[in-house]
Amino acid sequence: MALTTAPSARSVAATGSVRARKVADAIATAVLWAMASSIIVMLAAFVLYMVYLGGHALTPSFIFGVPKETTAGGGIGPEIYNSFYILILTLIFTVPIAVAAGVYIQEYARPGTFRNVVQFSAESLATVPSVVMGLFGLLVFVYLFKWKFTALGGALTLTLLNLPALMRVTQEALSSVPDTLREASMALGGTKWQTITRVVLPSAIGRLTTGVVLIAGRIFGETAALIFTAGLSVPYNNPYDLNPMRPAETLAVHLWYTHSESIVPDVDRIGNGSALVLLIMVLIFNVAARVLGRQLTKRFTGRAS
Amino acid sequence: MIALQARRSRRTERIAVLGLRVAAGFVILAMAALLGYLAFEGTKTFYVDKFPLWSFLFSPEFAPDANHPGAAVFVTGTVAVTVFAIAIGGPFGIAVGIFLAEIAPYRMTQILKPAIEVLVGIPSVVYGWLGLTLLVPLIRTHTSSPSGFGLAAAGIVLAIMILPTVITLSEDAFRSLPGSLKEGSLALGATRWQTITRVLLPSASSGLAVALILGIARAVGETLAIQMVIGNATQFPKGLFAPTAALTTEIVTDMPGATAGSLLEHALFSMALLLLLIAMVLIVLVRFALRRRT
Amino acid sequence: MKRKSARAALHLGVVLASIALAACSSPSKTESSGTSGPGNGTITVAGSTAMLPLVKDASAAYQDAHKNVKISVSGGGSATGIAQVAANAIDIGDSDITAPDHSELVDHRVAVVGFAVITNPAAGVKNLSKQQLRDIFAGVITTWKQVGGADQKIVVVNRPRSSGTRAVFVKTIMGTTPLSEGGLVEDATGTVVSVVKQTPGTVSYVALSGVTGGGVTIVSVDGVAPAPDTIESGKYSIWSYEHMFTNGEAKGDVAAFIDYVSGRTDLVKKNKFIAISAMKVKETDR
Repeated sequence: MALTTAPSARSVAATGSVRARKVADAIATAVLWAMASSIIVMLAAFVLYMVYLGGHALTPSFIFGVPKETTAGGGIGPEIYNSFYILILTLIFTVPIAVAAGVYIQEYARPGTFRNVVQFSAESLATVPSVVMGLFGLLVFVYLFKWKFTALGGALTLTLLNLPALMRVTQEALSSVPDTLREASMALGGTKWQTITRVVLPSAIGRLTTGVVLIAGRIFGETAALIFTAGLSVPYNNPYDLNPMRPAETLAVHLWYTHSESIVPDVDRIGNGSALVLLIMVLIFNVAARVLGRQLTKRFTGRAS
Repeated sequence: MIALQARRSRRTERIAVLGLRVAAGFVILAMAALLGYLAFEGTKTFYVDKFPLWSFLFSPEFAPDANHPGAAVFVTGTVAVTVFAIAIGGPFGIAVGIFLAEIAPYRMTQILKPAIEVLVGIPSVVYGWLGLTLLVPLIRTHTSSPSGFGLAAAGIVLAIMILPTVITLSEDAFRSLPGSLKEGSLALGATRWQTITRVLLPSASSGLAVALILGIARAVGETLAIQMVIGNATQFPKGLFAPTAALTTEIVTDMPGATAGSLLEHALFSMALLLLLIAMVLIVLVRFALRRRT
Repeated sequence: MKRKSARAALHLGVVLASIALAACSSPSKTESSGTSGPGNGTITVAGSTAMLPLVKDASAAYQDAHKNVKISVSGGGSATGIAQVAANAIDIGDSDITAPDHSELVDHRVAVVGFAVITNPAAGVKNLSKQQLRDIFAGVITTWKQVGGADQKIVVVNRPRSSGTRAVFVKTIMGTTPLSEGGLVEDATGTVVSVVKQTPGTVSYVALSGVTGGGVTIVSVDGVAPAPDTIESGKYSIWSYEHMFTNGEAKGDVAAFIDYVSGRTDLVKKNKFIAISAMKVKETDR
């Protein structure tokens, strides 16, 4: 593609002495280094600060204990359970639909209205604010379907929220597989479907898994959409329920709720502890995404990445 | 024998492709249902309660009990906090994007990129909590603000949250420029910084516009983190340090207590619809900016 | 090609129809709580944050005694309780105020709660008249000095519109004078108390049940301090009933639990509420 601004010898070289330009270059470089480093420093500061604030709260009775609404000493056990429960439930719905839709768009769809509409819908869904999606979930699952607050309603709402991201991950993973693999498979007599399931998807599985685990990390921390669909409470009896049709407050929602209601005397301890646990989970998801991705790619393709 | 196998696999293929098509169709359905249902609920303020659209958008008085839910206060809050966030996060993000694309050595990239990934993954409640425990007390002690809540706290938190988006997209914008541009400029004797500012930046402008627009989209839609530090008072932002509210925070604050079918509930859904429309306008802008590239 | 898309549409339709069918059929089967047999259901309770300590204590005790009942309790404010029980999203809505617009809701009064005006101790004020309170919360009086206190700016702390506490305060003190919106807004009883404790110059209204552990000054109104005896006799006027609303008649576990809450007068007193039986005055619109 043509250059949009062709540097002319005069405009570039004729701007002051060589020394001045070199000084400007050095200053600018230094400033940019400082800015980039500040991000790393900021992240480290956040992590250290949260460990400092919440580290002492991470006792077994906190991590596995039940929450107390009005007295001190509450724990977050059921909330952590609910976070994982809703995460798994959401992935059960999201992964098949998103991967299927992504495969279709990337491998099958011919350019045309259907393809454009699907892509536009996915892009639009991606920019819907989570609180608006939560209201939609409230309208549909709590009011229209009359489910009241349920883990299932929360999971379905989160499915809608994360479909576009997972579709994009699928599409990028598929496009990273070189066409030569596809051609070779077809040349050996495979149908398109066989090619995709036996050759392309396994090659892409590393990147796909990385994307899924990163999205799982985001689902774990989701709050606004769940406030209106999965509710703000955990039953006193049987807080570790396998039934999806019951209120299910997650850890992230619990952090917001504890701050918002502030009735327990140890709000700070619970808040700091919950925030730290959430942060640790994010770090675990991030590391796991990369490690798993690399391992799977090595196993399935013999390449390093 | 082979013919039988071929027929069977062709049939599997047809069923499989149908399944894929249904999945893709579901995405369309989901978006249509969302838009339709929200439009249905969100327009009730105007055709059921007969509150004029003009007043909803521009009236400064939010009094649903007096049948006058004017949302201008919240629209202003959203605009104000977004402008604040993009004013800080935009230039900073683009600068770091430039750094990553043009200046950073491999080792630095290996540290910085995972750091940015972690920043993306931190849930918004945790950002809100950090703002609450770290930023708000700082603002309270060092400025005239009695509580520390307000635009400044929300804007700073939001700026940090949109940084990763702006950085990654800016970096992409620079990396996708043809290498000949840079090489040509350097060959003519320009310093690296001159090359960046006079040659690369203008060429990457549409990509940078996309980065900024998507940063704005993220800011407009952010809810929990702002809600915990903005003060949630139904008043126009009186300076940087007075409590105020935005569209998203108002929805979270007042929706649980809104009776189904009441004017307040309808007004809140109208605000949700407004948010949705803003988001869609932003995507159209992005597509427009991308088309201008070539 | 046309056949393929027609078949896709057909499949889509089948999938949708089955989802719709499943959705419509599930509620009647899982309508537990009120209509199931005794001791076998799930009860969701939400609403007033002032009532929360009492309801939480009572629900813990009730669930200890009835092991197969699962009660979930949360806050959200009185209007939230009313709105959600009216929409059938929860079983019991806790509220500090009545719900005159909702004829379908059945009111169960379980206790009486007094509301106090609290200030940060640095304000230096111990008593205020009703008129002074009105002026402070309307934004007319702006410094504590104007009412005999320290030379400090007054910071009004309000509750959101969904708060029953706010509604009671408006009804008994403000009357027709509008509350000033310039100030802080805090979500719940607990956050109000902690903000007033920490921020100089603040003043707010809060349920007595939420004022635990000191750190704030409880202001007398027209010379009367809020206490069980002044509320029971009616001398202190800022109080209301605590309501538990149900959508339609309460049945089964829901009814049993509501009776249990009002019956445990020991828990009522422990959480700084007042038993209905102890009230010497009665009101119909609280």
